[in-house]
Amino acid sequence: MKRLLLVGLFVAGLLWALVSFKGLAAQGTYNSIILDFREDIGAAQIESQVKSFAQQFGATPQFNSEFSQGDHVFVVKGDRGLLNALRHSPLTKFTEIIEPNYEYQALLVPNDPDYGKQWNLRSINVEPAWDSTRGSGSVVAVIDTGITKVSDLEITTFVEGYDFVNDRYEATDDNGHGTHVAGTIAQSTNNERGVAGIAHGASLMPLKVLSAGGGGTVADIAEAIKYAADHNAHIINMSLGGGGESRLLQEAIDYAHSKGVLIIAAAGNEGQNAVSYPARYRHVVGVAALDPAGSKTPYSNYGAGIDIAAPGGLKNGDDPAGGILQNTINPDVPGEDVYVAFEGTSMAAPHVAGVAALVRASGITDPDQIEQVLKQSAIPVTDDALNHYGAGKLDAAAAVKLAEKGQITFRDFFNWLRDNGYLNPRFWIDGGVTALLPKIAMVLGSYIFAWFLRNYFPFGWSWPLSMGLVAGSAGIFPLKGCYLFDLPQMPFRVMGSSLPELGSAVQGTTLLNPIFASVLIPFVLILLFLGHARWKWFAVGTALGVAACLGVRAAIAPDLMWLGNGAIARAFLGVNAVMCFALASLAAKPEVRHL
Amino acid sequence: MSIQLEGTIEHKGFGTGAWALVTSSGETYELHQPPADLKHKGLKVKVEGEIRKDVMTLAMIGPVLEVSRFETQS
Repeated sequence: MKRLLLVGLFVAGLLWALVSFKGLAAQGTYNSIILDFREDIGAAQIESQVKSFAQQFGATPQFNSEFSQGDHVFVVKGDRGLLNALRHSPLTKFTEIIEPNYEYQALLVPNDPDYGKQWNLRSINVEPAWDSTRGSGSVVAVIDTGITKVSDLEITTFVEGYDFVNDRYEATDDNGHGTHVAGTIAQSTNNERGVAGIAHGASLMPLKVLSAGGGGTVADIAEAIKYAADHNAHIINMSLGGGGESRLLQEAIDYAHSKGVLIIAAAGNEGQNAVSYPARYRHVVGVAALDPAGSKTPYSNYGAGIDIAAPGGLKNGDDPAGGILQNTINPDVPGEDVYVAFEGTSMAAPHVAGVAALVRASGITDPDQIEQVLKQSAIPVTDDALNHYGAGKLDAAAAVKLAEKGQITFRDFFNWLRDNGYLNPRFWIDGGVTALLPKIAMVLGSYIFAWFLRNYFPFGWSWPLSMGLVAGSAGIFPLKGCYLFDLPQMPFRVMGSSLPELGSAVQGTTLLNPIFASVLIPFVLILLFLGHARWKWFAVGTALGVAACLGVRAAIAPDLMWLGNGAIARAFLGVNAVMCFALASLAAKPEVRHL
Repeated sequence: MSIQLEGTIEHKGFGTGAWALVTSSGETYELHQPPADLKHKGLKVKVEGEIRKDVMTLAMIGPVLEVSRFETQS
């Protein structure tokens, strides 16, 4: 009887779900209705129907176009109410189709002739974002080699900047780098010329701090940051780096941040676990560079200080296809402008600055909240043990969509921090390192195994047992996400690994080493500690923990060194999990006799 | 503080390009406003100069080295 009741409830629930499913079409918008009259009725009858329609509903159906007459297709203004009324009216006898005249909207695909070469703009998914905003109202300061108004900046708006190298208000470019960076942010777009820019509705503020040779002083850069903050810039892009820590620069950054400016900087091109200044300062969004395939480029710095990743390009020798293409000056020929592909974290940072300008134009004005939106909407990279990608890969459409949802509350942010394993404020903790759910499953699984075993062989919970369970199953896994400036990450990975993961923690891969991911370590521990009253329970705990870890990995991620990730690896992990559990029950058993 | 380094001159392709000294141990120094005689790819040199911690660059390829003296090696 009970079973019958359950089946009945299930079927009722299923029916309700089917009946209430409106389908995708319910999401479309329309303000007119299509009437397609039958082909076999005469023109006179259609005319009389149209007349009676006008009397009954107060609106006159019109031909959709001159080509509609032959097919008898009419369109009439109306909403859902009229549509329902029509579908239940006598008109249905004379028509083949009565349906909503859905409105289709085309995404902006710019008419700039070389837009097709800008793989980078498609890889950040910018077209759907342009549907909502082009960045109007945002002011982006470009602290660089200056900006020259080249031909493809013809309709881009500028605000007054400053040249700190030559101490004058005209901040034109004599190198080509700054104009290129500015192009990524706000190249004139849909102007039938050249290429496109991300926030082409935003205004640019040129601030020249780097000389024609490409270098500049910390003093000039600090002054430029203050100038931007005092002259109502909303976002600062710094595609520059190097030098040592400077209090002057940190103070300028803090000042700009306190005035509501979001600061973005390139991570540096040394290919090392050492992000350059100024990207590593607090209140600065550090940007790593991606190649056309979406992987970290070999030159991009990584580790502590990387907040997000964006396209920086990777050229193959002289082939420019993998680089970032923008319009800039030809430094060797005065007055000539060229379309040239560059690569570097210098090119990645302005992608983030451009999307930040779009987010700001969508109504989020607080710099910390813009940063949160950018990170929260980024596409996370799960296998990122060395923090190559920060919160993930920049996604313009997702960022604008999230920004349009409204303000991000502290609670939302905290939940997101917690869900992604961003935990301790002292450490920079990366959400992509550890897949949290499997880890929780491993810890819980080990406790369930212990609880199960206890039903057969009663024993007391003890600290050694709990330690063993954690060490065997998941380790102190939040440690894996710690990055400190200039320190190797390996010790954190080792400390944060469970016993089965130790065999691959040094290399930093997520593959398991089958020697460690087996019954071997629990077996040795149990042999060593079987005679010891307390530590025996640590060994039992590790055996149960390893059983849970291997069991979960066998089920969801059986990736083993040498053995692959197929049936062999799954079987290896599964058999070892069972052996670990059997070992633990054997070791726990004698205590029953002693009791 | 002046330092002495030995290595090979390279031209790195970030932005409009930057001149670099790569030492035999693989460390890369970005040359700050190098003299014209030093701007030759593949040149093996012994240089004396200063690390400019107050200078930032668009190339970001390594510590910024301002060369005060250099001699070419065969």
